Amino acid sequence: MANFHLETKDVNVWFGARHVLSNVNLQFPQNEVTALIGPSGCGKSTFIRTLNRMHELIPGAGFAGEVLLDGQDIYGQAVDPVDVRVKIGMVFQKPNPFPTMSIKENVISGLKLSGISRPDAGDLVEQSLMRASMWNEVKDRLNDPAISLSGGQQQRLCIARSLAMNPNVLLMDEPCSALDPGSTRRIEETILELKESMTIVIVTHNMQQAQRISDSTAFFLAEDNTPGHVVEFGKTEQIFYGPIDPRTNEYVNGRFG
Amino acid sequence: MEARLNNVTAVERPKNAQPWTNMGPRVRISSILTIVIPAAVFALTLLFTGMDFMAGLFTVFLPLQLLMGGWAGFYSFGKRGITDGLLLVVTFFLSLFVFVLLASVLWSVIQSGFAALSPHFIYQNNVYVSGKTGLEIGGVGHAILGTIITVGISMLVTVPLGIATAVYLTETRDFGRGIVRTLLQAMSALPSVVSGLFIYSMLILSGWSGYSGLMGSLALIPLMLPTVARVAEESLRLVPKDLRNGALALGAPSYRAFFMVTLPAAQSGIVTAVLLGIARVIGETAPILLTMTLANGTNLNPLEGGMATLPGYIFNYILLGDPTSIARAWGAALVLLIFVGILFAAARIASSPKKAKKRSAK
Repeated sequence: MANFHLETKDVNVWFGARHVLSNVNLQFPQNEVTALIGPSGCGKSTFIRTLNRMHELIPGAGFAGEVLLDGQDIYGQAVDPVDVRVKIGMVFQKPNPFPTMSIKENVISGLKLSGISRPDAGDLVEQSLMRASMWNEVKDRLNDPAISLSGGQQQRLCIARSLAMNPNVLLMDEPCSALDPGSTRRIEETILELKESMTIVIVTHNMQQAQRISDSTAFFLAEDNTPGHVVEFGKTEQIFYGPIDPRTNEYVNGRFG
Repeated sequence: MEARLNNVTAVERPKNAQPWTNMGPRVRISSILTIVIPAAVFALTLLFTGMDFMAGLFTVFLPLQLLMGGWAGFYSFGKRGITDGLLLVVTFFLSLFVFVLLASVLWSVIQSGFAALSPHFIYQNNVYVSGKTGLEIGGVGHAILGTIITVGISMLVTVPLGIATAVYLTETRDFGRGIVRTLLQAMSALPSVVSGLFIYSMLILSGWSGYSGLMGSLALIPLMLPTVARVAEESLRLVPKDLRNGALALGAPSYRAFFMVTLPAAQSGIVTAVLLGIARVIGETAPILLTMTLANGTNLNPLEGGMATLPGYIFNYILLGDPTSIARAWGAALVLLIFVGILFAAARIASSPKKAKKRSAK
């Protein structure tokens, strides 16, 4: 059995007949943050969506390969995608709190949505909002509608919502791209705290962010109508300060992409 | 330049804080002239030539106002103002025209129906009433109940089925969607009399059932279903995919994601769908006439016997031809109108989004 918490083996993705990701082999160790970087359209977001089986919701999606969580293939015949998504949470690029629910209801929406009832739901709200470092901001207005929050608060609410499910892995698809620097900093602090208890994979376009928060970095690239693939994968310092591939060097230093 | 710190304090909003609404004197003068001159010429023409109002409206008032509108636009803004002025006149004229038509329909119903309207007209039935009976007794209480029962039974079928159809069309990627959508479009073009004839020939002529409220409800179902399904489909389609994905990413089975996230977000649209469905059938007369016999008494059993509905009542009493019976028919039309109005208002209040209510409570 592998030593890695989450691991992909020869992941290939198609949309219709178009091959968009080729043979992605990545390993995500426990309690580490892995950043996925690369120019737009190289398949990072597509890849991260294969990790919790959100990919298959897109019409015309195709997939081959294995994604192993604790050694178990999440694409196995007997695996229910619903269970996978409970263990592997996801935060999207655009904050998407449920508009018909209050802040409190949003936090525990995952429980309700998966039909779990817990007597300590009140504690869970506090705990999850604490972990997303926004408890003090919202503790007096828990019953306000979630959409009355600012964009940065909405995104942290979405993180809290994922945390309430106590996932083993948290996937983040450019969580800060729509946020101001202050909110971005708070979310980065949250990520660094969270990695003590879970494995985190984050897609980002921000090179400084990748260096600040990630332990490993994977550089994706799709050149001239070829499918996207991983050019280089290694420790973050190595990718940024001693890349082996010249294309990685050019990208991290902002010369293309 | 020397750098300095400014102390900012809030100041009162000036009187004119919307400079983009400022109109120069030219705009004001030419706008007033555009309204006053054609109206004056129109009034004088009517007065002196005795021209028909509608004919004059289109041959004198509209062309004159178009000319004036074009001139006003040119006078105020130069060349680019001409189309602006013309379109403004056309838009206002047509909106006003439609509004006047609607208001005159409403007014004639209110005016003619008001004579028959009284408390007992709402709750009494028609057992001792003939065409010539005075308006002191008799009413449409039985027809109101009949309308509620027949439309209610149709709703029991069309609301769940219509929403289920909408869910099928928006939430699945099944190959059958194209067929279903085509069928719905064909159904929404179905003349209501055909629907009535279908129930009449299949279920009544064949001797399977007598005329009854249930048969009327069945005839209304094919008319109501496509409206409910298509409007519900549109409102479900408007719910952002992000929300559904957010719910699924939390580990929700798709049915829970639908019932707890998508459906509440589409709530007001769904209510509108049901309303439009009711509005589509509540005034239907042809299918009712073919499948139900008009009773004068109150009948709450949809399975047996005649049952009155408001459209059927209006149809019958207009046909009787006596002044009082015609007054009754107008009264029933007014009741139907008020009924629909109350229904719409209630549903609008019920479906107003939660967030708005909470905001105003603060």
